Amino acid sequence: MSTAFHYPAFEIPRELDGLRREVRAFLAEASQGWSGWDIGHSWTGFDRAFSREVGRRGWIGMTWPRAYGGHERSALERYVVVEEMLAAGAPVGAHWVGDRQSGPLMLRIGSEAQKQRFLPKIASGEAAFCIGLSEPGSGSDLASLRSRATRVDGGWKLNGRKIWTTYASDCDFMIGLFRSQGTAEVDKHKGLSQYLIDLQSSGLEIRPIVDLTGEAHFNEIVFDDVFVPDESLVGRENEGWAQANAELAFERSGPDRYMSSFPLLPLSIDAVHAAGTADRLSARRIGEALADVVTLREMSLSILGQLAAGHMPAQEAALTKDLGTSFEQRLPELVREITDNAPVITEGDTLSEMQAYLVQSVPSYSLRGGTREIMRGIIARGLGLR
Amino acid sequence: MSRDNDDIAGPLGDQLARLFAKTVTREALVAAEHNVFDAALWNEISEIGAALALAAESVGGAGLAWAQADGLLQLLGSQLPPVPLGETMLAAWVLGLAGIEAPAAPLAVAGALLQIDGDGCVSGDDALVSWAPQAQVIVAVAQGAGARQLVLLSTLDAELTPQRTLDRLPAARARFRGARPLQAVAAPAVLGETGLLAPLAVLRALQLAGSLSQVLALCIDYANTRSQFGKTIGKFQAIQHQIAELAELSAAAQVAAGYAARQLDGGDAAAAERGAAVAKIRAAASATRGAAIAHQVFGAIGTTDEHLLHYHTRRLWQWRDEAGSDGWWAERLGRQALAAGAAALWTGITASAP
Repeated sequence: MSTAFHYPAFEIPRELDGLRREVRAFLAEASQGWSGWDIGHSWTGFDRAFSREVGRRGWIGMTWPRAYGGHERSALERYVVVEEMLAAGAPVGAHWVGDRQSGPLMLRIGSEAQKQRFLPKIASGEAAFCIGLSEPGSGSDLASLRSRATRVDGGWKLNGRKIWTTYASDCDFMIGLFRSQGTAEVDKHKGLSQYLIDLQSSGLEIRPIVDLTGEAHFNEIVFDDVFVPDESLVGRENEGWAQANAELAFERSGPDRYMSSFPLLPLSIDAVHAAGTADRLSARRIGEALADVVTLREMSLSILGQLAAGHMPAQEAALTKDLGTSFEQRLPELVREITDNAPVITEGDTLSEMQAYLVQSVPSYSLRGGTREIMRGIIARGLGLR
Repeated sequence: MSRDNDDIAGPLGDQLARLFAKTVTREALVAAEHNVFDAALWNEISEIGAALALAAESVGGAGLAWAQADGLLQLLGSQLPPVPLGETMLAAWVLGLAGIEAPAAPLAVAGALLQIDGDGCVSGDDALVSWAPQAQVIVAVAQGAGARQLVLLSTLDAELTPQRTLDRLPAARARFRGARPLQAVAAPAVLGETGLLAPLAVLRALQLAGSLSQVLALCIDYANTRSQFGKTIGKFQAIQHQIAELAELSAAAQVAAGYAARQLDGGDAAAAERGAAVAKIRAAASATRGAAIAHQVFGAIGTTDEHLLHYHTRRLWQWRDEAGSDGWWAERLGRQALAAGAAALWTGITASAP
């Protein structure tokens, strides 16, 4: 029987329990003082001091070569650290993009100089990265992007606008995708290049966008003749589309695509006990959610195993992301079904704060990293439809 | 489990797939619904040695682990051979764990826990034993004073009341009133307080996963063939996205069932039951939504008797509620999670793999 997707089993060996306990002990201490609202932010919580401490413990860039500040540990060890951070709702945002995406991209296709300059800074938790993909006129249709890189003496001049860039105002560097050849209408995904941009560059303006929670995570970034030198090209000129897409397979496959609301689940168990409503309904809802978590974790681990073996399971990553984000969106509804809590945000009441943040935040989970519709399009194409 | 067994599982699965492709015709499916036992198919299956695939080598089996036979067991759902092969494989596996050679016959499995008294006589009731009307022997677990016993019961000693089911395959309520088992031994350690219900739920989850993957293939084929408004319906995004969702449901069922198979192989009763719960909850939920999507994609033709789709969807609706529905297992799993408390939730998830 041939199927359009493959999920070979991949397990975390018990030998890593020691590392797991180490991370838990650290988080038990570090989490003192995190509010429910903070925890609800999960991997979008931005805390440089926290990231530096994580870096000091050797938990950023774990799999990278020591020569670049890495720790030459296994992808499995990294996974253990990452899933423990997510289970606790730790504010990993300042190093998340660098550790998950930008660092691995540079390691794969970056120049020697880029690796030496940036990887150690990411690994120590000092350099925060963001990704510049979407534009005001180019969301899901990313290949229609118009921001342009023009060849000048010694480098490029960047012009245009990037939007929905998370924490750009707090980050140090961006890896941005720009049109270096041709036009959006004719060339589409051809002629795009990736550049490593210092966000302190002159001509660059970062405008925060306040979102519906009242916070400003997103930014719009205006490039007005921003000069970037020759050595800021990442990988090969005009190959940016393929490079950025390979990056997306990593972005879509991690535990961060199903665990963003996970901390609600243990809290809802506490809430059910406190209210004395451990009845059939609450048991069933919690049992269903637990089955989903276990299944999604199995899927996520399988993809980890495939990536570690050098495969690029783009189909499986898209499929798991859509299932995972649906689960993340389900959890606040589960809380509503089994607690009957009033819609109030009570300071110091962890569940009420977390619930309030997540109810407002989860709609974006099936948008970020590629919308549900884009995921389903990728899956359909992989199945041979179209 | 030796490395060699991976080499057995592949060819055995290929042989079965070829056999089913040849023999599981529409006529065969219809005949089974009229209580005609496909003896020819059963004989071929027996000759291949598939019935004993999961049984230990010491009792004449192939000694495959559940995880190794994962794909082979999914064939029972994707190709729908109308014989109790899955039940017989399960029975031969558990008998093998207890050092007993399985009778060379189609076997039925009772998921309900029966009782065994001090004289070794078995009583109890199982509301739905698939294939009981066509099996000579029912394998069950009976709770005694303290220990649980694995028992072989003759269907002649059971009060069988035929049950009508959605899949229209032979099934009966089985009542035992002081029946003397053909054999009784201490139940293997992997069977916990839910007895044979857990492995039976894993079997059904694997069958559901197999059926869903075949339903997915049928939908893709139909969407790429059926034309409306001047183009194949697979070109419409509304159809594409429904089939993409079906693929997600199918994948989730497959992964959950595979996880449960590994937990059974691990031998720990608590982990095995947890795996069974996860697999049955996930696979049954996938079956519910998956069957609805398939019928929506196929339109009116898919609801006709003439079309083959209903042989899958009626089984999806049947199997999702057999050996404990998703709701039943979710309640049990949820109660355990509630009892263990919030702090144990994540540690349980990460420590559950053996």
